[in-house]
Amino acid sequence: MSAVMEAERPAAAPAGEAFVRLKDVESYYGESYIVQGVTFDVKEGEIVALLGRNGAGKTSTLKTIARAHEPHLTAGEIWLGDQAVHKMRDWQAARAGIQLVPEDRRIIGGLTVEENLILAQTAEPVGWPVDRIYQLFPRLGERRRQEATTMSGGEQQMLAVGRALARDIKLLLLDEPYEGLAPTIVEEIEKAMFEIKGLGITTIIVEQNAVAALRIADSAVILDMGSVAYRGTAKEVLDNEELRNEYLAI
Amino acid sequence: MEFNAFFLNFLTGLQLGAIYALIALGLTLIFGTLGVVNFAHGALYMIAAYAAVLISRSMGFTYAIFIVPALLFLVGLLMERGLIRWFYDRPHTDQILVTFGLAIVIEEALKWIFGANNIPFALPSWGSGQVLFYGLGATVPEAIPGLRIPMPGIEGFTFFPFWRLLLIGVSAIVVLGLFVLLQFTRFGLVVRAGMRDPQMVSHLGINVTQKFAIVFGLAAAIAGVAGVFGGPVTQVSPTVGLAYLVPSFLVVVIGGMGSLLGALVAAVLLGMASAFTTGFAALAVDPFMKGFLTALQQIVVYLVAVVVLLVRPRGLFGKKGVFE
Repeated sequence: MSAVMEAERPAAAPAGEAFVRLKDVESYYGESYIVQGVTFDVKEGEIVALLGRNGAGKTSTLKTIARAHEPHLTAGEIWLGDQAVHKMRDWQAARAGIQLVPEDRRIIGGLTVEENLILAQTAEPVGWPVDRIYQLFPRLGERRRQEATTMSGGEQQMLAVGRALARDIKLLLLDEPYEGLAPTIVEEIEKAMFEIKGLGITTIIVEQNAVAALRIADSAVILDMGSVAYRGTAKEVLDNEELRNEYLAI
Repeated sequence: MEFNAFFLNFLTGLQLGAIYALIALGLTLIFGTLGVVNFAHGALYMIAAYAAVLISRSMGFTYAIFIVPALLFLVGLLMERGLIRWFYDRPHTDQILVTFGLAIVIEEALKWIFGANNIPFALPSWGSGQVLFYGLGATVPEAIPGLRIPMPGIEGFTFFPFWRLLLIGVSAIVVLGLFVLLQFTRFGLVVRAGMRDPQMVSHLGINVTQKFAIVFGLAAAIAGVAGVFGGPVTQVSPTVGLAYLVPSFLVVVIGGMGSLLGALVAAVLLGMASAFTTGFAALAVDPFMKGFLTALQQIVVYLVAVVVLLVRPRGLFGKKGVFE
């Protein structure tokens, strides 16, 4: 039996009570069947790296959890504690505490840095005050009056993370937080990630740079062809070369 | 053209632009937020004008100023929740068909109730009369009644209807109010953000659909203000909605779909083009030129639209890719 097969196990988290539960989740982009019955659990405060090759369904799974307009959830259940997220719309999921930091950051153009943060605090429940976000990312404080989309990619990523922290998060969904960033900026974002980890915020992180994601994660879920191929600890993935070759190419 | 004539044409252009702006601001606000081209917006203006006539006859004009915009806000909200929202994910052609169809239904219903002719819309006593503009050093006979405003450059004195001047003022106040609402309030922040990226705004816990329904109501309320103050100028008949929708839609296209600043600039541009063509036609002595300019005044707004869109397909302040 291959190490991969050996590693396969029930999709539930290894121990402890599940806080986030995905059960047979299926979603479509138009006619395209993308998320094909994903099941896994996440414990409260756990950081899960959602890994897999390009097209495995990682981003789509995150967006499905956030109840984005697309991909369209067609089957399965998503639970956040005792709240049925699969019955919610995008804004209701956000109010329940699910916060998506999208791959393309989606900083709102035409608005200043501060307006982007204030916007995030329009709907209850709100999280960090703006000044605390500026303490974590001093560069945002320096550029508070600047139109947000005129900042560098790294600064926009800081704002995207800051904007998430401006809300009272129960589940943070990070999509490719390090993508296309200079190494110095990656360090700064990583510092913020560890701060978030210290706060005990339950997080699912999708990242092409699997090693960087596993460095911060407690556990990993590997997706292949739209469904879960492996669920284990971050260390198990890092130590299992065959698994990494098979699904991650690292 | 002498300065006096220039000045009067300029005021006429502003007044025409004021009505175009009030209708076009609503149109572009709805397109910018909801992505819907609301061809029933002229019909909302028409409903407002009829409601203003009825209310001012029974209760007095002052009541109409407050009741009609509030009523139109409700009509807009009802229209959005009851009909338009079902067409958000449909192609623009479907949206145009349904809103245009609705406009025809409203037009025919008003024709059925009030008849096909104009109904008189009497100005309130405080709104009638002329404003007198006089040049520095000019002697104005004491017997002439009404408001007097000094205006450098005017030779002697000249008149402009008070109501039309009021219409310009009301339009300016509405534009300013809308600017303050959008730029300095939390609601405005959400609307501006929603115009850029409604999905991300939803991911921040904001019920964008609900906010946009309010925007639809607000746009209808602005058409309500236009109906109350513009009705006495444009006449109140079942065809007035369409008559003002077309140039207002051109204003939106010339300004750039979804751009509020664009709508404002284009409204003044079209108002001026129309007023000055009429002004030059009146002054022309040569019969051919007079005939040409008289004909031109019928099509000048379309001509401006053609030229602007040939040079800049997205409109003056439009975003690339939107109807380009």
